[in-house]
Amino acid sequence: MPSSDPRSRDERFRDEALPHLPAVARYALSLAREEADADDLVQETFLRAFRNWDQFEPGSECRAWLFAICRHTHFRSSGRAQKVIAHDDADLEALGAAALHAAARSDGLEDVFERADTMAHIRAAIDNLPDPFRGAVLLVDLEEQSYDDAARILDVPIGTVRSRLFRGRRLLQERLIEHARDAGLVRHEDPDVTPEDTSRDA
Amino acid sequence: MTPDMLDCDAVMRQLWDYLDGELTPDREAAVRDHLAVCKRCYPQYDFEKAFVRALAGSRREHARPDALRTRVLAALRAEGFAA
Repeated sequence: MPSSDPRSRDERFRDEALPHLPAVARYALSLAREEADADDLVQETFLRAFRNWDQFEPGSECRAWLFAICRHTHFRSSGRAQKVIAHDDADLEALGAAALHAAARSDGLEDVFERADTMAHIRAAIDNLPDPFRGAVLLVDLEEQSYDDAARILDVPIGTVRSRLFRGRRLLQERLIEHARDAGLVRHEDPDVTPEDTSRDA
Repeated sequence: MTPDMLDCDAVMRQLWDYLDGELTPDREAAVRDHLAVCKRCYPQYDFEKAFVRALAGSRREHARPDALRTRVLAALRAEGFAA
């Protein structure tokens, strides 16, 4: 069926793909870590996208499509195997996060993620995450992709995105809270103060 | 507790889905209603919200976006891009 779009192929690429260059650059930097390698990856991503532009489905998420090309190009050129790991239980990770919160709270670290010194270590903590978890965190938390789009980019089921994301988040929380403890930021509660009532209102 | 209300365990399991906007409208409303009245779950929600906000804030932008754009356009034009 002929397209009703009056724009030429190149005009559609200019209007729909090129605006995502900053986002692809960020994602490439997260994958490649070195700026020079990231720039090469961005260039190669857009060249591949341009060559295969006819395969892009109009109306679908162009940024997710570009991210998938970027990721595939990165792993192919780096020669790194994309590890397949066991599918962990995402719900257990979410419950684990609740336990972490309770422990942080008892150490007076309730606001640990709002402190400037924690913020300074977040990026390093993300960069040090194992790849499968880091990939999910980068896409959902930093690049604001939906679980559905992240699944398409990573070429895994949505359940796998969720379990990798939740595990990645829990690992990050553990490291950042541990860092805060090591930095001596713990504040123990005054034993003379009555604990807050945590029961639900009637 | 009404039949449609969630318990704390169910809310904790779905808290990140809720923060990520990945729940159905009905389920999202149920979590929101629970958080509005639960003194146990709301601090957890606050904690996780600060965490995901901190992650989003760690996004690293390219240092020289204009130079990169110029380079990419030059490479595309060498491939025949003409817009």
